[in-house]
Amino acid sequence: MVSKKNISITVNGEAKEAEVEPRMLLAHFLRDVVGLTGTHIGCDTTNCGACTVIMDGKAVKSCTILAVQANGRKILTIEGLSKGREKLHPVQQSFVDKHGLQCGYCTSGMILTSYWLLKNRKNVTEEEIRAAISGNLCRCTGYDNIVESIKDASKKMEEEGDPIEEHPEIKVRA
Amino acid sequence: MNPPTFEYFAPTGIDEVIDILAKYPGEAKILAGGQSIIPLLKSRISSIPYLVSLSEVKGLSYIDEGSEGVRIGAMTIDSDLENSDLVKKRFPILHDATEQLADPLVRNVGTIGGNLSHADPANDLPAVMIALGARFTLRGKGGSREVEAKDFFLDTFTTALEPEEVLTEINIPFWGKKSGGAYVKFKKNTWNFSVAAVAVQLELDGNRCRKAHIATTSVSPKSGRMEKAEKALIGAELNDHAISKAAAEVATSSEPVSDSYGPEEYKREILRRITREAINKALSRAGGN
Amino acid sequence: MELSEKLVRGEGRFVDDIQMPGMLYLGFARSQYARAKILKISGAHLTHKEVNFEVVEVGEGATEGGPTALSHPVLANGYVGYVGQPVAAVYSDDRYTAEDLIDSVEIEYEPLKAIVDPEESLKREAMYPGVRSNAIVDRYFGKEFTPDPSDIVIERRLVNRRIATNPIEPRGIVAAYDGNKLTVWVSTQSAHSIKEGLSEALKMEPDRIRVVQVDTGGAFGLKGGLFPEYVVACYLAMKERRPVKWIETRREHLLASRPGRGVVANLKLYAKRDGTITGLKGDVIVDNGAFTGGSGEFSPMFIARQLAGAYYLPNAHVRALSVLTNKAPQGPYRGAGRPEAMYFIERLVDGLADELKMDPVELRLINAAKETYTSPLGMQVEKSRAFLESAIKELDYEKYKEKENVGFAFLILYHATAGGESARIKVEDGRLKVWTGGNAHGQRHDIFIKTLLKEELGVSEDLVDALKGDTDQLQDGVGAWGSRSSMVLSSAVIVAARKIKEQIEKKHGKYTLKALLDGNWDEYEFFKYDKTESSLGANLVTADVDGYGRVRVKECLSYYDAGRVLDPDNARGQNAGGAVQGIGQTLSEELAFDEDGLPLITSISDAGVLSADLVPKFGIKFHKSESPLPSKAKGIGEAPTIGVPIALSRAIEKATGKLIVETPIKPEYLLPAGKD
Repeated sequence: MVSKKNISITVNGEAKEAEVEPRMLLAHFLRDVVGLTGTHIGCDTTNCGACTVIMDGKAVKSCTILAVQANGRKILTIEGLSKGREKLHPVQQSFVDKHGLQCGYCTSGMILTSYWLLKNRKNVTEEEIRAAISGNLCRCTGYDNIVESIKDASKKMEEEGDPIEEHPEIKVRA
Repeated sequence: MNPPTFEYFAPTGIDEVIDILAKYPGEAKILAGGQSIIPLLKSRISSIPYLVSLSEVKGLSYIDEGSEGVRIGAMTIDSDLENSDLVKKRFPILHDATEQLADPLVRNVGTIGGNLSHADPANDLPAVMIALGARFTLRGKGGSREVEAKDFFLDTFTTALEPEEVLTEINIPFWGKKSGGAYVKFKKNTWNFSVAAVAVQLELDGNRCRKAHIATTSVSPKSGRMEKAEKALIGAELNDHAISKAAAEVATSSEPVSDSYGPEEYKREILRRITREAINKALSRAGGN
Repeated sequence: MELSEKLVRGEGRFVDDIQMPGMLYLGFARSQYARAKILKISGAHLTHKEVNFEVVEVGEGATEGGPTALSHPVLANGYVGYVGQPVAAVYSDDRYTAEDLIDSVEIEYEPLKAIVDPEESLKREAMYPGVRSNAIVDRYFGKEFTPDPSDIVIERRLVNRRIATNPIEPRGIVAAYDGNKLTVWVSTQSAHSIKEGLSEALKMEPDRIRVVQVDTGGAFGLKGGLFPEYVVACYLAMKERRPVKWIETRREHLLASRPGRGVVANLKLYAKRDGTITGLKGDVIVDNGAFTGGSGEFSPMFIARQLAGAYYLPNAHVRALSVLTNKAPQGPYRGAGRPEAMYFIERLVDGLADELKMDPVELRLINAAKETYTSPLGMQVEKSRAFLESAIKELDYEKYKEKENVGFAFLILYHATAGGESARIKVEDGRLKVWTGGNAHGQRHDIFIKTLLKEELGVSEDLVDALKGDTDQLQDGVGAWGSRSSMVLSSAVIVAARKIKEQIEKKHGKYTLKALLDGNWDEYEFFKYDKTESSLGANLVTADVDGYGRVRVKECLSYYDAGRVLDPDNARGQNAGGAVQGIGQTLSEELAFDEDGLPLITSISDAGVLSADLVPKFGIKFHKSESPLPSKAKGIGEAPTIGVPIALSRAIEKATGKLIVETPIKPEYLLPAGKD
């Protein structure tokens, strides 16, 4: 019998402790243990990015990280972007406004990758946007409306700022 | 798909890591970023009874410039290399490789040490390190030893690492003033790995080539130096003729196999063309024509 | 909360999000062989001995009739016909252990020589004892004719290879049973088709089955029907009286879902020297897979019937075949027969243009149907010349023709309007609840439903809840596929709304919003429609090919007759999404097999699904000739998957001078000759 591990992961600002099998993926920890099902799983091979979350300030694929590897780390999930606020986060709002989603399955990952990109780059170009989301697959939108959403979000973040600027898990890189 | 069971260790010191490796020789494997191992486990093609994570070991992530070269900690993530001005300036070949490696999210987790120790001939960094003439620091029971990159990769998924050893540092020497390199990767547009890729690092003496290292990705059971091709360049003026000769040598001396990435002959032809492109790019970066 | 707001907050409810106490996770041990006898199974919880059902076709492209010798067994019955076929089932309290149990199932096989290629299949021994031929469909359309000996003949073997549908959310189901009623939560395009299929497979009275659609993460034709795995999940839920969940892995999706395309055509196009098309002959062969239950019994006929394209075709004689192969059953994939048919005729037309050294668009103009007529192959072709003239202008063909490697596609899209659709509007507590028989899975029907109800009833969008499919809330329904929802689903909503309006007028003398919102109204409408509608479209694509044979798509423009555009944002999204799939089909998407029928593709990336950095920005212009339906709309969802492969193939032909007859085009084929 494999020994379980006690882990503590800060998820959207709250410490979440659990005893887990070492093989449990971070995506399943978030979905099945913490109960945050906005993080989706779409492939087995680290390609689709539906499971994207922010870990210690970087966008990562939570289906390719063990929950035990994330022990002591800070995770931001899609639910954390507008947690405790009625108003959507600017990036979320842009995806609504610019029709950046259709079925909504890749959306959480797309939004978090976009958020990570926009925290790191100002005046982002279309080419930079497309390169940044190249690890996130969407089968519905053809990407046009996603790219437009991210451009719009870039403007919104410039104008309105980031409501979770002070959030501890987001490290702004120079 | 999800991984089969395994025991997991996350020691805080490198000696402890080595102790655990020694306790389960051949059965324990290092977990660095996990971007190769975790997909492998999830596919259930292979199982690993003991995983020893380096994530809690402090001090393994750095890019330090010294007088002789640059030292890189094994746990340095790919995106830190990609975004490093030092790497961009001194080793553009490594910047080429890291900005094309997998995708941006994988690069936020994947490490240089993991990419190299996995010894997948389709991974990008082995060829780059061989071309740069890097030396690897391997830590084991009795201390550390250094191995040259070209001697590190023994076969597909097989390296010079002893069962109880860990790759801790990559040391890339500075090349001479008139030097430059390039990594050219040819991918079928969506596929995970390249059809072929080539790393070329050159040093010039006037308009002649003083030193040349060439290594390939995806077209041989392991990445290694393409010595015949290098010979075609060394001492020569790097004109079209010499470059074509070297490119043809790389194509003939590699060992691609026909598979779903394409037929063997196609891969050789791609390799020939990307080698020409890589030599030309390296040459221009070295301040040649 | 509005659907899009829910989804961007991560508060959608997809099938794998459902948690219930005592839930079992189901897993399948699958065939490793393309064709083999099963000698022994050990270590499994469920095998065919116990779960002895068959899956009959339901959903898009279904033909009438019960199980046959070729129906897909729910669990393999002594024989496997494709790699990935479910052989035995296991279950556990958690998903990880269920996977461990799959690995512990041992299956002994006696391998047989697989039949992989559909054309070879016609020459091979029958796949099953008692089956006379591997052609499960073999029919002729049109009439034999004698071509004029002076006619030019363009002969091609054209291939659209198999593609995985690859919605980002794989298939999945949760089933629960209370001793009398089976309730199923499922990712689907049609709750009613799942209900009908389950009732047939499990031999259960329909009123004991409730199917509830959850948020559905893309489908593209795949999720219209029932699958063996769903039947096992329901069986287990009833047997154990515990909720059961099955979520497909991507690997399973690539092996054992219902891939689309997989069609070969050997065709001859006849024409006069002046470019006038005089006839078409040949055959169309569908790679059906090993069992029925997909769309292989329907698609060869559907393809053959459309082969006139949007042209006047005086003579035609086409043989339509569907052939058994050792692969998963072919299923509908965005367009489902439409892209294949148009690809075949359009490639022939481009070939004819080259032969005659004519401009391909000029040639299309010559042959565009001047009047609406019924082609010898059976489909009504609407008059198309005037549309084509405006498409040439709107897409600025003349400008691109001079400077670029340009490809042009002219298409007719047949909407699956026949069969109609249902809707129910229920007004209570001042809000409107709407259920529809077609279940959206990325088309955002919620948006146009709200627009239409605002128009019909004056009710503001925030008072309308467009709900997911639920067979207990809606007595009957068809499904969301075949570019039909903006036509028949919307019309059902309009008619139901008008019925409520009438009732209010009857009761109150006139219609007021207050009367609507203060009252309790409940109206179900099955909007009956028997006709297959159609609309015209055109695509223009420009592309360059570099020294490595890499294709860069530059412009990808659409001009579609959308009738009344119900939701322009959504229409643009549908166009771009379909266009990326069209580029994917042309350049990268394929489910390839080796000569033993073993799949070569093991990831969604290797399956060729394109990322944002590999595709251009798309453009669309709408032609707005209203449809005769109450919604006045015309569906366009499948148009880009029809037009883009045609136009892109031509652009590549122009760029390389190489004849393009297959999708996807292999990169090695495009590698230009070396210069040194």
